[in-house]
Amino acid sequence: MKSKTALIFNALLVIVFVFAFTLPASAGTTYKLGMSLAITGPTSDAGNPYAKGAEDWFKFVNETDYLGDGDIIDCPIRDDQYKNDTTKRFFEEFLDDGILIFLSYATGGNLALKRDFEEVQIPVIPASYHEGLIVDANYTFMPVATYSENAVSLAEYVVGKHEGTDTPKVAFFIHPSAFGRGPLEDTQKAVSLGLGIDIVEVVEHGTDLDNTAMLQRLESKGVQYVICHTVQTPVATMLTDAQRLGVTAATFGEKGKLTFLGAHYTGGSDLIALAGTATEGYIWADSYNLTSENNEGAKKQLELAERYGRDDKAANSHNYGAGILAAQIATEAIKETKKAGLKVNRENIYKTMQTLNFQSFAAAGPVTYSPTERIGVDVQNIYVAEGGVFKKIQSFESQYIQKVRADR
Amino acid sequence: MSQNRWLATGNFFTSYKQEQRTFFTHLDRTIFTCFLVILFGWPLVFEISNKYMLVLDNILIAIVAVMGLNLLLGFAGLISIGHAAFVGIGAYTVASVCQVIGENHVIVTHFWPVLIVVAGIMGAIFGAFVGLPALRLKHLYLAIATLSFQMIFEWFIQFMSFFNQGQTIYVGRAHWFTGQVGRNDHYLFWYYIILTIVVVLGFGVRNLLKTKYGRCLVAVRDNDRAADAMGMNPGLTKVYAFALAGFFAGVAGALHAYLYRGVGFDSFTLHHSVAYLAMAIVGGLGTLNGIFWGPVAIKYLDLQVEQFSELAGHYLTYAPNVATALKPLSFGLVIVLFLMYEPRGIANWWRIAKSYTKLWPFRY
Repeated sequence: MKSKTALIFNALLVIVFVFAFTLPASAGTTYKLGMSLAITGPTSDAGNPYAKGAEDWFKFVNETDYLGDGDIIDCPIRDDQYKNDTTKRFFEEFLDDGILIFLSYATGGNLALKRDFEEVQIPVIPASYHEGLIVDANYTFMPVATYSENAVSLAEYVVGKHEGTDTPKVAFFIHPSAFGRGPLEDTQKAVSLGLGIDIVEVVEHGTDLDNTAMLQRLESKGVQYVICHTVQTPVATMLTDAQRLGVTAATFGEKGKLTFLGAHYTGGSDLIALAGTATEGYIWADSYNLTSENNEGAKKQLELAERYGRDDKAANSHNYGAGILAAQIATEAIKETKKAGLKVNRENIYKTMQTLNFQSFAAAGPVTYSPTERIGVDVQNIYVAEGGVFKKIQSFESQYIQKVRADR
Repeated sequence: MSQNRWLATGNFFTSYKQEQRTFFTHLDRTIFTCFLVILFGWPLVFEISNKYMLVLDNILIAIVAVMGLNLLLGFAGLISIGHAAFVGIGAYTVASVCQVIGENHVIVTHFWPVLIVVAGIMGAIFGAFVGLPALRLKHLYLAIATLSFQMIFEWFIQFMSFFNQGQTIYVGRAHWFTGQVGRNDHYLFWYYIILTIVVVLGFGVRNLLKTKYGRCLVAVRDNDRAADAMGMNPGLTKVYAFALAGFFAGVAGALHAYLYRGVGFDSFTLHHSVAYLAMAIVGGLGTLNGIFWGPVAIKYLDLQVEQFSELAGHYLTYAPNVATALKPLSFGLVIVLFLMYEPRGIANWWRIAKSYTKLWPFRY
């Protein structure tokens, strides 16, 4: 009898030990998210560091028990290679897995899935800041100011800084797609609403390796400012050509020369790596904090990159910061939902996100959403390329973009 | 014809009527019926995942498109490098209707079978028009002409504001007798619709090839001058081959529009045209069952290579461009190797497998 009791006791002990060692270290809840973006393929120069930023932040959250109670975030990152059909497939896969928030990427992919987001009622955090994503859409939460806001702000900045009584003559250098054309259209609307610039020419670039003719044409038309809304490579080609031709303005708005300005995806450390000294003087509007600023936020970004063994290129990329911010918005939404004592599901996360308000080290200003506002960081920094890095000139909030939105 | 209708000892016929049979043996018919029953029945037995249903629906749409391309390239011998543009014509026909009358108009949501046919007819009209150069051009020159059409299509869509400059134009949800097809049933519903269309069009192609019009295609492919001498009209045959290919492509495009509930330019690029061409060649040009094998094989390969490239992207973080190059490189390599070692396509494997079912000693 005694030996039988001992046997049962020993068996129970073994079972307890087996369970103790086989159970995961975290006994908390796992929150599933999904991310689809271009790690390879077109635009992967932006998508790759973006993915790393998000991945590192989620690792940090899980390792430091940021959510509390041992809760963790499981966010598989899939490579859609910039193909809308593939993004759709991944989105369906994520839905099958029961994700709470979808972290998406390209303008095209987001527009293609816009109806699905509304139907499924899932909060979405895109990497594209195309204004059209938040028009007639409730579930898309833009992390930062839109491309249109960037372009209109740059136009306003030109008006504010232009010397002389004449109307500044501006050319637009844009991507040949809705991604490039959308901000142009909004700037044209701002002009029709009283913004004092004269849009002399619009250039939709191809894959040209030489812009000599285009630059000389702009000069002959008296253009002083070129606002770019595209990706870095064509801008780098244009800046290099402008330097070679000697048409780049030495100071902002120099008469008879061209001052170049650009929105989010045109600038950053990658542009400097591509165009070198030709980038000097380039004005860039962006809502992210840069590591070249050497402030507290920059230090935190570099620490995170170092913690997970990222190289300098990724660590200093504003796209790495963009990935961090997108992941932070998702994390804070879950954390705040938990804090409010609500069940963490899509519906409650959506409710929480509408009032989400926090400060991120990766952004130029606070993330503030409201039931009527779907843009997180409204502040933009105006940077200038100087001495091989981008330096902040000032913070900027567009006045005309509100008028454009009201007029829509 | 063999005395044993189950296992033939060879392909010999004693009348034209025997040669006109859709299935040569009872075994052929039985296998086909079982296959069809499985295709229609499995969703009723297994749990359905939207992700996999989307993949299957995509394969079926590709089969419809490749049916047209195989008629053109395999049976009529006319090369086309702009087939995705014809698919795009079908998709943008639906999108245009949505732009004009609204995505949720009853014509879009309730009369979708009519719209699918209209999209096919639009594809046929454009196909016939693009086929006109085929009266004068052959081989590589014809390939360039169809490539031009692809380029014109892409430019046109990307710059026309009516087509939203290539960005997505939304298409409303289809209705069935039971009401609106909801999100949960969407992919399954379209699976059955597309599968039905594949079966109907498959029999259509099979029957076409038994008619004089089908024989004209083959005759013109083999020698258009000889066909002319035999009283056929090679010019007309070439144009209607393009029209037929356009019709199939147009139907595929409309199905794509309804499946994705939207039409965006990037589903109909030159890359897709090349993929359709690869499907037709890998499946087996000028064969009926190759139409089915090609899309299955290429789509499956595409998924595998995608996973391989994705894995490489995660590990080769310092060199994303290398990971990017891995996909087209490995995809192209597999195609090249396949063509080197099996130029007659997967259909040839099917032929060899079938020959084993024939009675000894006339298996080969």
